[in-house]
Amino acid sequence: MVTSLRIPIGDCSESPTPSSVSGRGGRAAPAQTIGAKMAMAMRLPVARKPLSETLGRDTKKHLVVPGDTITTDTGFMRGHGTYMGEEKLIASVAGSVERVNKLICVKALKTRYSGEVGDIVVGRITEVQQKRWKVDTNSRLDSVLLLSSMNLPGGELRRRSAEDELAMRGFLQEGDLISAEVQAVFSDGAVSLHTRSLKYGKLGQGVLVQVSPSLVKRQKTHFHDLPCGASVILGNNGFIWIYPTPEHKEEDTGGFTANLEPVLLADREVMSRLRNCVVSLVTQRMMLYDTSILYCYEASLPHQIKDILKPEVMEEIVLETRQRLLEQEG
Amino acid sequence: MADAFGDELFSVFQDDSTNEAGTKKDQEKGKWKGPPGSADKAGKHFDGKLPTESTNSGKNKRDTDFEGTDEPIFGKKPRIEETIAEDLRYAIALALREKQRVIFTSPIKALSNQKYREMYEEFQDVGLMTGDVTINPTASCLVMTTEPCHVIYTDYRPTPLQHYIFPAGGDGLHLVVDENGDFREDNFNTAMQVLRDAGDLAKGDQKGRKGGTKGPSNVFKIVKMIMERNFQPVIIFSFSKKDCEAYALQMTKLDFNTDEEKKMVEEVFSNAIDCLSDEDKKLPQALFATETFAMGINMPARTVLFTNARKFDGKDFRWISSGEYIQMSGRAGRRGMDDRGIVILMVDEKMSPTVGKQLLKGSADPLNSAFHLTYNMVLNLLRVEEINPEYMLEKSFYQFQHYRAIPGVVEKVKNSEQQYNKIVIPNEESVVIYYKIRQQLAKLGKEIEEYIHKPKYCLPFLQPGRLVKVKNEGDDFGWGVVVNFSKKSNVKPNSGELDPLYVVEVLLRCSKESLKNSATEAAKPAKPDEKGEMQVVPVLVHLLSAISSVRLYIPKDLRPVDNRQSVLKSIQEVQKRFPDGIPLLDPIDDMGIQDQGLKKVIQKVEAFEHRMYSHPLHNDPNLETVYTLCEKKAQIAIDIKSAKRELKKARTVLQMDELKCRKRVLRRLGFATSSDVIEMKGRVACEISSADELLLTEMMFNGLFNDLSAEQATALLSCFVFQENSSEMPKLTEQLAGPLRQMQECAKRIAKVSAEAKLEIDEETYLSSFKPHLMDVVYTWATGATFAHICKMTDVFEGSIIRCMRRLEELLRQMCQAAKAIGNTELENKFAEGITKIKRDIVFAASLYL
Repeated sequence: MVTSLRIPIGDCSESPTPSSVSGRGGRAAPAQTIGAKMAMAMRLPVARKPLSETLGRDTKKHLVVPGDTITTDTGFMRGHGTYMGEEKLIASVAGSVERVNKLICVKALKTRYSGEVGDIVVGRITEVQQKRWKVDTNSRLDSVLLLSSMNLPGGELRRRSAEDELAMRGFLQEGDLISAEVQAVFSDGAVSLHTRSLKYGKLGQGVLVQVSPSLVKRQKTHFHDLPCGASVILGNNGFIWIYPTPEHKEEDTGGFTANLEPVLLADREVMSRLRNCVVSLVTQRMMLYDTSILYCYEASLPHQIKDILKPEVMEEIVLETRQRLLEQEG
Repeated sequence: MADAFGDELFSVFQDDSTNEAGTKKDQEKGKWKGPPGSADKAGKHFDGKLPTESTNSGKNKRDTDFEGTDEPIFGKKPRIEETIAEDLRYAIALALREKQRVIFTSPIKALSNQKYREMYEEFQDVGLMTGDVTINPTASCLVMTTEPCHVIYTDYRPTPLQHYIFPAGGDGLHLVVDENGDFREDNFNTAMQVLRDAGDLAKGDQKGRKGGTKGPSNVFKIVKMIMERNFQPVIIFSFSKKDCEAYALQMTKLDFNTDEEKKMVEEVFSNAIDCLSDEDKKLPQALFATETFAMGINMPARTVLFTNARKFDGKDFRWISSGEYIQMSGRAGRRGMDDRGIVILMVDEKMSPTVGKQLLKGSADPLNSAFHLTYNMVLNLLRVEEINPEYMLEKSFYQFQHYRAIPGVVEKVKNSEQQYNKIVIPNEESVVIYYKIRQQLAKLGKEIEEYIHKPKYCLPFLQPGRLVKVKNEGDDFGWGVVVNFSKKSNVKPNSGELDPLYVVEVLLRCSKESLKNSATEAAKPAKPDEKGEMQVVPVLVHLLSAISSVRLYIPKDLRPVDNRQSVLKSIQEVQKRFPDGIPLLDPIDDMGIQDQGLKKVIQKVEAFEHRMYSHPLHNDPNLETVYTLCEKKAQIAIDIKSAKRELKKARTVLQMDELKCRKRVLRRLGFATSSDVIEMKGRVACEISSADELLLTEMMFNGLFNDLSAEQATALLSCFVFQENSSEMPKLTEQLAGPLRQMQECAKRIAKVSAEAKLEIDEETYLSSFKPHLMDVVYTWATGATFAHICKMTDVFEGSIIRCMRRLEELLRQMCQAAKAIGNTELENKFAEGITKIKRDIVFAASLYL
């Protein structure tokens, strides 16, 4: 497999000291155009090394690709990601086989999001319609957010009127990002969202990372304030939102007052480091949850933020994370 | 589904539970009553449109009644008149104008349906939610069926009621509560007297029916009387379906069919009768109903008749509560038509005046939370972010009621502590030691008594003439003379074991007062200065506090008073001769008890007695006063302890232990992880809310339904929804018995896991909660048999079968969802097929009320 042809085009002015081999020219000649003498790291295609399988319980996983026979035993029941063919249970997606009692299903590694009630998702508004918004949540069908299932500004409780409908674009418009909870799943699999808690709602400043939903670990809570100085929302749909930890927790307004104060450089550095850590974890197929992200963050501290994305660095810090997690689990 | 109505609904509920003050205020205003005369005016110009600006002064007044307040306007009003009133209409329109949603709740489905229709005519944007119908749930005005809710009562009655009692066997009515609400004690007592006199006849009604030969039944007589006196229309409440039928049949004999009456009767009951066939229409001229009817339905009558004052509540027969009585008797008296309503209560058993008084005069049932945990609730709370079951428990109304007790208990502890500190005892330490010695002695004395009271030891000494001391809790009878003893077999209620009771008949000095008006069981000892009367009283063995070694000669015939009084003289003579106290039987020397334990106890007693005698306080002249003080103090200390325990209990979150156990079960069965995140199984169980979700999910994941046909699966599921009792256990064919066995094995495993998780559960009871009585019936129905055919297969009521089928359909729908959640289309289709198989013909005919 061939991957990673990375050509970082220099350093933007804000990033800390450039570390490339040939990177001192920029300051010497201020009038030069970008690219002429700036740093450029060229990488050639390399074969991807197999993930370090010696570690962890991952080795026990029964992995299949579409068409693989899972079992010929007829005593089992088929679940998602499988089909019956000639008395055999065959996988229809690539992923790991999971068994619950007599039920066998295959959890796809790379998949779209299929909603379940109670999930936390991060999504992007794609359309404003009558009494509802269409939201892209990386599922097969667009999700909907009904006007009646969102908080009105100021938390007013009443029936929504025609005036509210007219003001809809003022609340949320195309392109806005929101965090929400799945309220119901329709029979066709489409998801109905609600933001009826002040912690959900429009998202302000931050970084979005899109990963496969299968890599987000289900937990009691998906909102985490990490001790390193930033917060993350790990959407069950694979949308990870990294944002500066809000100062006044109690004054949650459900996203109706946008905080447009510039984010401090230090905070931005933490966020971009977190972002790169999440990307590394995902490349190495590690589950995302608060502890794994935090450990990865700590393991990445010796490296420059931008270096984290170099494959060898990624491998190194993820390996370290993995080891710490194993130790912690005992 | 959980939150499909939007936040408006939620907020209304919250207000409901917290805003009691608002309710009261409304009630004081006469609830829904506008100023006199305004209703008509407002009604005329109000035609279903939103109220516009108006100069009508009456209406403005009402605006201020409802408006300018955030207090909830309660939609379901009590017992005045059930039609949609002008005021109610107005309130709804007002709420709609203010962009609020309106929830109208009613306790039973039939009433909801009726209200829905009425409101739909008025405001098109109306929805309905009941157990089996959901129409337009997002409408701005929603009619819902909720659990019966007795929160809001008003004491105001437009039509006063008269309560009568009809004692069985008697032939007249007795007025016990008049229209002013006064309880007529004398009349009540006369009625009771009639009952007592009637004796055997009290049960005449029942015998009469069984024998089939006796004349018309009591009900028959009363109904006839009612008709003669023009008290119709009448509603008759009977607490069992069978009686209801039987009475209705009897009524057919009555000829009410004078044209005029018939017209009147039919007018009132046409609602109920419309759904019956023509033939049936000829029969019931009086409506017989069970209790559910009382909850609503727009059908007031002039007279209400109860055929019994006791009902079967699933466990045993009990008196109906005053709350139920109020609800049911409230049907009597039509506003605007009758000047008073008449309630007749038939009593066929001895009803003590207190019970009767309570029933007739009692207040409405207090509202108590019936909140309890279910797995479905726990799972549904676990799967959403932010809320957890613990939070839910803390915020429940049940908990609220519980917390409310705390201030009282705190106060109690404080008071007791103050009292405790007030009592100052000189030389306290030594007094306490002395007190403890005395306490120990008393305790040991009790132990000895227990040995003595063992029938095998004491019976040989209870010869006639033996002097014994009798003490019943606070009542000390002093010495008496044994006359006789007898054995009574006493069957223990739970185990069925025979536990013989020994009753000793003792001649005792009793107070004359206590003997006068009741049986000897209630005898009280005579006061020291009173002369008292000697009377033979049956006494249980354990009430004998001492048995003396003295025996007296007793006269052969104890019937004459003089003979008995002479015994008293002998007793007094004996007491004179033994100034140090009458000698007692020695447990070892005289009674010959050879128990080692007893010997030890006696040794201890000797040791303590020695300590007591040698204690400096023993001869102190102040001993008695100091000692009583000490006793009092110790008592208060005990009170404080128990109050503190109570306080600790009140502060805990109720049902927390049960929640922990349930979570443990969920973890062990793999429904949730240790960090409270629910797994695939848990998600499936969330879909199932109308039957045992744990067992059904386990069965599904174990593939129990895989090899079954749609009919078999449907039949198997019937065990989960059928809850009534049937005497007949059908013989199941192997194709049904097989799956049943598998299900029971599965259930056993769940019971075992639950027991391991320390959840109190009885395997037998759990297993027997799944009733296979209708399996074959459902199976046959699913294969296409006619309803008449399946009715013949079982002795279960037709209504119960239909009810079961309807619930079964609901369960099947949920099973479909569950199968979908695990991604198994075959299973999903199987359950869907099951629905189509049972959903046909009469079973799923549209509700009779809608």
